[in-house]
Amino acid sequence: MDILGSFALLLAFLTAVYAVLAGIAGILTRRTLLTKSARNAGMAVFVLVTVAVGCLEYFFFSNDFSIVYVVEHSNRALPGFYKFAALWAGQEGSLLFWSWLLSIYAFLVLFLNRKRHPELMPYVGVVLAGVQTFFLTLNNFVATPFRVLAGPDGAGVLHLAKMSEGHGLTPLLQYPEMVIHPPMLYLGYTGFSVPFAFALAALLGRYPGEKWIHITRRWTMIAWCVQSIGILLGAHWAYAMLGWGGYWAWDPVENASLLPWITGTAFLHSVMMQEKRGMMKVWNVWLVFTTFMLCILGTMLTRSGVVSSVHAFAQSSIGSWFVGFLIITFVVCFAAYWKNRDYLRSDNQLDSLVSRESSFLFNNLILLAACFAVLWGTLFPVLSEWVQGSKISVGAPFFNKVNVPIALFLLLLTGVGPLLAWRKTSFDALQRNFAWPFGAGILAGVIGFTFGFRDIYSLLCLILGVFVTLTIASEFFRGARVISARDGTNFFTAMGELTMRNTRRYGGYVIHFGMVLVFIGIAGTPFNKDLQKEMAVGDSLRIGPYTVLCQNFDHLDNANFESDRATLEVFKNGKSDMMLFPERRLFHASQVTETMVAIQSSPLRDLYIVYAGRSPESGKPVIHAYLLPLIKWIWFGGIVVVLGTGLALLPNRRTALVLRPATERSWAEAIVEAAPAIGAVARRVEGHD
Amino acid sequence: MTDIYKTRKSERAPQQSLCAQNRFSMFSVLRISLRAVTLATILAMSAIAPASAQDTPRAKALSKRVLCMCGGCEDSVGLCNHPGGTFSGPCETARGMQKDLDAHVTRGESDDQILQAMVEQYGPTVLVEPPKKGFDLLAWIMPIAVPLIALVLVWEVVRRWRHKATLAPAGGPQVSPEFLVRAQREANREPGREHDE
Repeated sequence: MDILGSFALLLAFLTAVYAVLAGIAGILTRRTLLTKSARNAGMAVFVLVTVAVGCLEYFFFSNDFSIVYVVEHSNRALPGFYKFAALWAGQEGSLLFWSWLLSIYAFLVLFLNRKRHPELMPYVGVVLAGVQTFFLTLNNFVATPFRVLAGPDGAGVLHLAKMSEGHGLTPLLQYPEMVIHPPMLYLGYTGFSVPFAFALAALLGRYPGEKWIHITRRWTMIAWCVQSIGILLGAHWAYAMLGWGGYWAWDPVENASLLPWITGTAFLHSVMMQEKRGMMKVWNVWLVFTTFMLCILGTMLTRSGVVSSVHAFAQSSIGSWFVGFLIITFVVCFAAYWKNRDYLRSDNQLDSLVSRESSFLFNNLILLAACFAVLWGTLFPVLSEWVQGSKISVGAPFFNKVNVPIALFLLLLTGVGPLLAWRKTSFDALQRNFAWPFGAGILAGVIGFTFGFRDIYSLLCLILGVFVTLTIASEFFRGARVISARDGTNFFTAMGELTMRNTRRYGGYVIHFGMVLVFIGIAGTPFNKDLQKEMAVGDSLRIGPYTVLCQNFDHLDNANFESDRATLEVFKNGKSDMMLFPERRLFHASQVTETMVAIQSSPLRDLYIVYAGRSPESGKPVIHAYLLPLIKWIWFGGIVVVLGTGLALLPNRRTALVLRPATERSWAEAIVEAAPAIGAVARRVEGHD
Repeated sequence: MTDIYKTRKSERAPQQSLCAQNRFSMFSVLRISLRAVTLATILAMSAIAPASAQDTPRAKALSKRVLCMCGGCEDSVGLCNHPGGTFSGPCETARGMQKDLDAHVTRGESDDQILQAMVEQYGPTVLVEPPKKGFDLLAWIMPIAVPLIALVLVWEVVRRWRHKATLAPAGGPQVSPEFLVRAQREANREPGREHDE
């Protein structure tokens, strides 16, 4: 089996190389047959990588501990669910997984467009196959997952190894969300390859107009949405699993996932400038190039341990390969741009400073500023070591100080931008649109202040949150009023009609609203409280309105782990409210301990209790209790963002801007479109709040 | 590195306990004379004194500006957390550093002095944030400077584009096929959709 897997990978590599070469040859010689063959090769890569992935999974499920990767990331008692997830638990598997997801995207792109855009698709195929070749190089020659644990004389040692036990999966990863979080992030990372490939292809092939943007709009949105889900699931995992009462630590790997998300967001906004007004063509192309390169950088930061990180599950010297690939990508992008830059001439003009156009400019400016600040902070330790010879730390407080003002400004633009008209907005219109949302925001601020929202940033966030929400609501309201007056339908039907007629616009508003909820959730952070106490049975501690009474400590044992568990009764305002069971688990295979946090979640605040273990000084059990306001809004906001994206992906009811008739949509496309929704459902099933 | 650090710490241990006693007497005087009101409020708010060494709000605040040097958590002393260890609260290193901070605070040193002392002891990585001097100042300047430069550039771009817009009508409209399609689309738009996206 390991030979089959290795062979499939090698063949995939050769096929990808062939797809690149034949594709280039096909473009140069204009031979349709060659181009077709290159495309088929690109699709065949998917089949071959799938075989390799299937082999590795087979080893996991058959407990074949003669494979190094299986020994390191699995054990017999590991539940099947996690055996599947062990595929991406380490370096080699993750990279294989990357390759596989990319091959899926490539297959879908090539398959769905096999009869369309004959002058564009060959280039797309070449670009995708090029990226695929890089990852398959890593899979085959740098980090092969099929390394066999073998002694000098083969068979006997192999047999022994097969009988033995694996080291087990990192307990940190033994959590339902961890089965979904990495695939989502990777789907995001790989997904941005599609708009990248189309942008580069359009540039190389001098493909006319904004077509590549129309073609990739859905792909970009799916990649963006999946990336959002991935980031939020990661945050939720950190929150529910790491037991420090937070969800975002500005860890280099977290930052790495945020960077392409930020530039992707900027791209999704600025393409509208190109679609509506034919502006910013160069900018858009570079934004999508940057996004792709940041995806590669993100994978590199995760996989190479260049910057120290809690996520660096596997570290190696693989970084230099990524640096090389990044340089090649940049050179190719720049060369393509330089050669064909005259094709990107835009009809840039701006009628007024107060217009939708300028708000998009500022939106991009702010997003890029945020992106730069995060990137700068993440890489500064490396830079500092290089310049001064000594490492320094750039911790979470730095990122908070720098990014919170930027984020708040962005939130302001979220409210202002959509209400400005294209071309020019009059002062009267400004007053009419903004007066009462802004007034209501200030009022909310005053009320918030009297109720103890005494942190300047939180207060600003609250004011802006209310302001943005009301501007969004007024957009729905005004549109629906026009329709209901004209059609005589009731108001809510009209609102549905309005939304379905321009799903992209109103889906966008829903996404904005989701982001407002996320921001409000984040604004609760300055009001966090925590308390750590040694507790014996019968002791209690008080935090906020809660009193936590220690009822019992017990010990559980099963094949995978044993655990110490505290039984706590929680009283709220003197009345018994609920029981919580924080645990500490010791996993047999890896001999690693893990906290299982007990969380009582409510919209207003989470009570978050960690059984920290026995105090090294007194030997008594220590309970760490946190009171975390508004956290739930973040997860809820995430769900709203996903729903909004789903809405924006739907075709408009009247075909004004539809690219192709709905009947032509194939099953595969439907699945791709349903993916975020499936993710959202899964997220809700998995989330325990 | 760790070995050196450990011996250092064991040498310091007796001093620490002395300091702790000193701190107690000194602090009770201080508290009674100067901080009675503050203390009352703090006590009322927290109700129970924390079990760890973080006795004063100042020491607690400082503990979040100093990195735990155990090498395993990448957290500040105040937030040190080892989900994979036997005890997930602050580790031995973090508790030791917290005691150091308490001792410094008790001696009445200023925040800057304390942080400086920590840097001398552990090296510059001990600071959670980059210091605002020398080369490291760049860490702080760039996230402000770059957006400002970008803002100037955007401003310049906007100015040029507006200039273009005022000049455009003089040459007469050049209608490209793309523009015509767009214009038709916009003209055919229904009421209620007039401000499209």
